Amino acid sequence: MWRRSASFILDQQQEKKSKALTSPSMDEPLQNPNLNNPNNISAYYQTRAAHYGVVTSDWLAQAQAAVGFDPVDAASEKGIRSVDSDKPFSVIDEFNHWRKLPDLAEAVAAILALASVIRSSKATTMMELESELKKASDSLKSWDTTSISLTAGCDLFMRYVTRTSALEYEDFDAAKLRLIERAEKFGEISRKARRTIAMLSQDFIFDGCTILVHGFSRVVLEVLKTAAQNKKLFRVLCTEGRPDRTGLRLSNELAKLDVPVKLLIDSAVAYTMDEVDMVFVGADGVVESGGIINMMGTYQIALVAHSMNKPVYVAAESYKFARLYPLDQKDLTPALRPIDFGVPIPSGVEVETSARDYTPPQYLTLLFTDLGVLTPSVVSDELIQLYL
Amino acid sequence: MPDTQALVNEFVVKLKRRKVEGSHATARLTAELLRSVISQQRVPYTNQAGVLIEAVKAVGEQLISANPVELAVGNIVRRVLHIIREEDLSLATTAIGGLNLSAGSDDEDDAELDDRTVLSAAAVAAAARSTLRAPSLHTLLEDIPDSVAAPHTSSSGGDSEGKSKSADKNSRTRKLKHDVIEAINELIQDIDTCHEQIAEQAVEHIHQNEVILTLGRSRTVMEFLCAAKEKKRSFRVFVAEGAPRYQGHVLAKELVARGLQTTVITDSAVFAMISRVNMVIVGAHAIMANGGVIAPVGLNMVALAAQRHAVPFVVVAGSHKLCPLYPHNPEVLLNDLRSPSELLDFGEFSDCMDFGTGSGAPLLHVVNPAFDYVPPKLVSLFITDTCYTTEELTPFCNFCIGNTSGAVALLLIKY
Repeated sequence: MWRRSASFILDQQQEKKSKALTSPSMDEPLQNPNLNNPNNISAYYQTRAAHYGVVTSDWLAQAQAAVGFDPVDAASEKGIRSVDSDKPFSVIDEFNHWRKLPDLAEAVAAILALASVIRSSKATTMMELESELKKASDSLKSWDTTSISLTAGCDLFMRYVTRTSALEYEDFDAAKLRLIERAEKFGEISRKARRTIAMLSQDFIFDGCTILVHGFSRVVLEVLKTAAQNKKLFRVLCTEGRPDRTGLRLSNELAKLDVPVKLLIDSAVAYTMDEVDMVFVGADGVVESGGIINMMGTYQIALVAHSMNKPVYVAAESYKFARLYPLDQKDLTPALRPIDFGVPIPSGVEVETSARDYTPPQYLTLLFTDLGVLTPSVVSDELIQLYL
Repeated sequence: MPDTQALVNEFVVKLKRRKVEGSHATARLTAELLRSVISQQRVPYTNQAGVLIEAVKAVGEQLISANPVELAVGNIVRRVLHIIREEDLSLATTAIGGLNLSAGSDDEDDAELDDRTVLSAAAVAAAARSTLRAPSLHTLLEDIPDSVAAPHTSSSGGDSEGKSKSADKNSRTRKLKHDVIEAINELIQDIDTCHEQIAEQAVEHIHQNEVILTLGRSRTVMEFLCAAKEKKRSFRVFVAEGAPRYQGHVLAKELVARGLQTTVITDSAVFAMISRVNMVIVGAHAIMANGGVIAPVGLNMVALAAQRHAVPFVVVAGSHKLCPLYPHNPEVLLNDLRSPSELLDFGEFSDCMDFGTGSGAPLLHVVNPAFDYVPPKLVSLFITDTCYTTEELTPFCNFCIGNTSGAVALLLIKY
């Protein structure tokens, strides 16, 4: 029956289109090993697994120490390197390099990759540069159609390049320099955004409250960390976050901050909801309706919270606002991810491997973004204004 | 400035003793007080806006702490601060335009100009304006110099310092203060005319032969109903009396005097009558950033009854009641507990409330909260005035009239 739904047809179309889009971009960077991105596993979740599943924060600290400088400095270094290297330049390589850095959000990686496109570009006019950027951002977007923040980051930067006061320079080289500089600052902007969100949300966390958290989100962690630093007394309930056990990692981080944490299996959400005061989640992407796309399970948590009159707060940086308007759950490019059930699965049994779901705006109370504390309807207005 | 200090103190005492009542009167008095503070404030040649902002902030803090429940005070203080910043900025941009950005100009965008090509004046103006506006996706990637992104006072200090070197000092000093006072006068005018502005829209909402229910007395509601009556609409009004102050009786009297068919009901009869009602129109004490409403006590009950029977619940309020804060625990923190004498006569029950009897604590308690919190999902529509003079706010007002709670939040984050 579900096969007859309109969105299913749309899905099929999109899949075809994305395949069609990927194939022409194959010809330029042929030697790129990453390009044959296996379509059945989302690259976005590969990164997440690498960052949150296996990698611990100690490892992270060590890695950072070994590298010796902060990712933004690294940004400029690497960028310059890629200019004088002889091998043909590829955005996707560049993007893959950036997204490996654990502190860097996907959108930031995308923007940094586009900046290096500008740097290596041999264009002499603004129009040329723009079309080059357009091509690069299209190939990035089609390389991983499942990542919303990648698409949003590309869109945002393209939008900046085409319509900004910064380009009122008479000189083309100066304009180029400025674009690169702004792109490189973006890493900083994103980190500052996380701080802003943490500050904004402090008023909402009161002493003695119990917070339910689903999935691992850097913003949510920052929010809770700031609250702990502000000597707020609160308790956190972490869902386990099967299959990549992101909840375990979050509880690990919180335990280090001496915040009382309780782990739940994902199916215990409704059971514990009556002792919860608020639900806090991050977001992979915030869509035009004001709803969010987030790790699988967010929708059902929001439903449970809504039916028990508990507020659901979303913490998301504004560069995750994406120009999507999903009508239902099947209306998205599914991001797939392998699930380990621990036992062999009998043949002929299907497994739902989608990694995320869509939570409609009516189940969300407020969104904490670096633009301020917004109701879901303001998000759509913000997006309309930007891309009008 | 001993005289302004005296004025401030007088107003603070009035606020503390709850001698000034109603957000409309409070908003007006606050704006007038701030105007006199600004006009009395001595401004130096440099950093005028900074000095004015500091002065307004200092007075504003005193006023807000005098009656934290009266949110209109804070709203007006914020509006005045916004006015100062805006006037300062418009002066700065015209100055830049006049100078045509001679080389090595020392304005606030120093940081980004230093080693690069000079931005055109328009770009500078745009960048500066973006610092005033709320952050948006538009400006996310644009360069906002740290000095400006940080507290505005310092940056405006820097830029007026720069300007005073070039522009003629005297006229500029007068100009800023003059412009600010002009703008505050406009603000006061807006507050004065907000009732009429709202009432103008009445015919669009009240239709022939409708039954309207309201509770207590709000001047905005009264004018709203009367405006519809004047346009030859015939409709009936149910007035819930609004215990314990029974302001509903006053409203009923006023409506009857204007020739409106009026029915007085008790508060407890609201649910019984709601099925016959077409629309609930009420006033508010304050509208919070999430679209929740702080309203006279009893309105939450009315809102719930209206929701039960799918009757539209309309809130009319002047824009000075829009508050950019989020309510945290509003039932307790944003509430006034008033004197029990409104409920009970002093003589009758004074024995029961005597501390001397029994165990030492009185057996009878009286709780008399002044306000209710109506959650945003119970409100169908907000009607506010469209009298914003700032051009960037106008588009949002339309949203606010035609839309529900989300739009109020939208309106609020913009200022």
